[in-house]
Amino acid sequence: MAQINLGRKEVSCKIVYYGPGLSGKTTNLEKVYEKTPEDNKGRMTSIATEGDRTLFFDYMPLDIGTISGMHTKFQLYTVPGQTYYKSTRKLVLQGADGVIFVADSGTDKIEENAQSLADLRDNLAENGLTLEEMPFVIQYNKRDLPDVLDIAILEEKLNEGKVPHFTASAVTGEGVIPTLKGLSRIVLDNLNKTSSQRPARPKPAGAQAAPAQPAKPAPAAQRQAVQPAKTPASQRPAHLAAPAKPALAAKRNVGTPARPAAPPKGVKKPVRPAAGRPPGATARPARSARPVAVPEKKNMTWIYVSAGAAAAALVAALLL
Amino acid sequence: MSNIEKELVQNRLVFYENDIEKINKVLQAFITLSEAKCAMLIDKEGHMVTNAGQEAQFDTDTISALAAGSFAATKEMAKVLGEDEFSVLFHQGKVDNIQLTLIGDRCLLAVVFDERTTIGMVRLYAKEAATRLMEIFKVVEKREPSADEKLLKDGFSNDAGNKMDDLFGEDA
Ligand SMILES: Nc1nc2c(ncn2[C@@H]2O[C@H](COP(=O)(O)OP(=O)(O)OP(=O)(O)O)[C@@H](O)[C@H]2O)c(=O)[nH]1
Ligand SMILES: [Mg+2]
Repeated sequence: MAQINLGRKEVSCKIVYYGPGLSGKTTNLEKVYEKTPEDNKGRMTSIATEGDRTLFFDYMPLDIGTISGMHTKFQLYTVPGQTYYKSTRKLVLQGADGVIFVADSGTDKIEENAQSLADLRDNLAENGLTLEEMPFVIQYNKRDLPDVLDIAILEEKLNEGKVPHFTASAVTGEGVIPTLKGLSRIVLDNLNKTSSQRPARPKPAGAQAAPAQPAKPAPAAQRQAVQPAKTPASQRPAHLAAPAKPALAAKRNVGTPARPAAPPKGVKKPVRPAAGRPPGATARPARSARPVAVPEKKNMTWIYVSAGAAAAALVAALLL
Repeated sequence: MSNIEKELVQNRLVFYENDIEKINKVLQAFITLSEAKCAMLIDKEGHMVTNAGQEAQFDTDTISALAAGSFAATKEMAKVLGEDEFSVLFHQGKVDNIQLTLIGDRCLLAVVFDERTTIGMVRLYAKEAATRLMEIFKVVEKREPSADEKLLKDGFSNDAGNKMDDLFGEDA
C-alpha cells in the first residue's frame, strides 16, 4: 500500500509490471528510465541473470515532483516472467498499488498471456486481494512485429474486466509513457479513499467490485473505458482526460520540450567503486535488436547484485 | 493469512507530522549513542518513512527498495527453516556495513555504519530503538483516517497527470 507521509510531505506508491516471460516488462522500465529527465529519477537497478532474464526484480524510483504540496513518487518494479519464479513474483507484488500487465501480442503467445494473468490472480489471492480491486491496465506490446494478434482478439481473450488497454512497442518506446500515465491516474484516484471507502473486502469469488461510495466512479464504468494508445484527447474517457490539457498543449507547441541535461541531484553522487558493478559483471549484454544510445547507458547502473541478494532471491524463487 | 494480518497489510500507512517528529527523535538518539553513519526507517513495501544521521551519500529510494526486497526474500528462507522470519539481517562490506532490524509488523530499521563503531554497539542500541519505535507504531498501524478527512487535496490525481505531461513532454 502507498505510504502517505504528512510529516515529510511525501506520497509514495508502488507500481508493478507483470506479464509472461520476455513480454517486454524490463524493456518498458528501461524506456521509462530513458525518457525521465535526470532530476526525476534515481538509479535503475536490475537483479537479473547474465542472459538478461529478470531474476528477482528491476526497480527504478520515479519522482514526479510536488503536487498540492506533496512530494509524489512512484516506485516502479518489474517481476520475472518465467513460470518458475512464481513465488518471487508474489514477493514483488506485495504492497502494490497498481499493476500494468504487459502482454505479448505475438500470435503464438496467447496461452502464455492467459497463464500469466491467472498467475497474477493467484498471487494476489495469496496476499488476500483480487484483481478487481487493484488499479490495473493492460498493455499489448510488440505491436511492431509482423505476427501479432488483432487488438479485438486480445481484448476478448485477455481483458475480461474491460480495464483500460494500451498498445505499445516497448523496444521503440512507443506507448510506454501513455501506459504508465494511464495506470498512475487510477492509482492516484484511489489514494484519497480510506479503506472503508474502497471496495469491501474480502469479496466472494467472482463477485463484482461494489463501490461503497457513490462519489467514486463505478469500477464497472471505469473499466469499460478502453483507451487505445493514440486516442485523441477529445475522445478519451472522461476519467482519463486532464482538464488542464489545453494549457499544456499550448505550452508544448512552444519549441521542443525542454529536457536539459540537468546536473545530477545531490543524493546521486557517483557511487563508490565498491557499489558499482563488480568486475566481470556487465551491463545487460547487448541484445542485437536493442539500440541503446551511449550517453543514456552511462546513466544506468545495472547492479548485478552479488552473493547475498541474488542468493536470497534464488532461495525465494526456489520455494514452493 | 489471519484476518488481523490481512487487515494490517491492507491498511495504508499514514504518518502524521507528529509521528515523524517522534520517530526522528528516536533515530537521532540512536545515531548519537551508536555512532552509526545513518539510520533509515523503511516500510516493508520499500517506501522510506524517515532518516537521520549523515546526509545520505546514496540513493535512499533504491536502498529502501532493495532492503525491503532482501528482507522479503530472507523471510522465505526463514520459513523453509521453520522460523517465522529473521528479525535481524547484517551485510558486511569492506568499508560500510548495513544492518536491518525488523520493527513490529510493517517496518525495518536500516543502519549504515563503518569502523567508527562496532556491530555490537549497533545491535545493542538498535534493539533499544526498536522497542521505542514499536510503541510509536502501535498507534500508526492501527489508525485509520476518518472517512471525511482528506489526506490529499481534491484534484490531486489531475494535477499529477498534468505534471507527468510536463515531465515526459511529447511522450505523454
Ligand atoms: N520487437 C519487439 N521486441 C521487444 C519489444 N519489447 C521487448 N522486446 C524484446 O523482447 C525481449 C525480452 O524483453 P524483456 O523486456 O527483457 O522481457 P521481460 O518481460 O522483462 O522478460 P523476463 O524478465 O524474463 O520476464 C528483448 O529482446 C526485447 O528487446 C517490442 O515492443 N517489440
Ligand atoms: Mg525482465
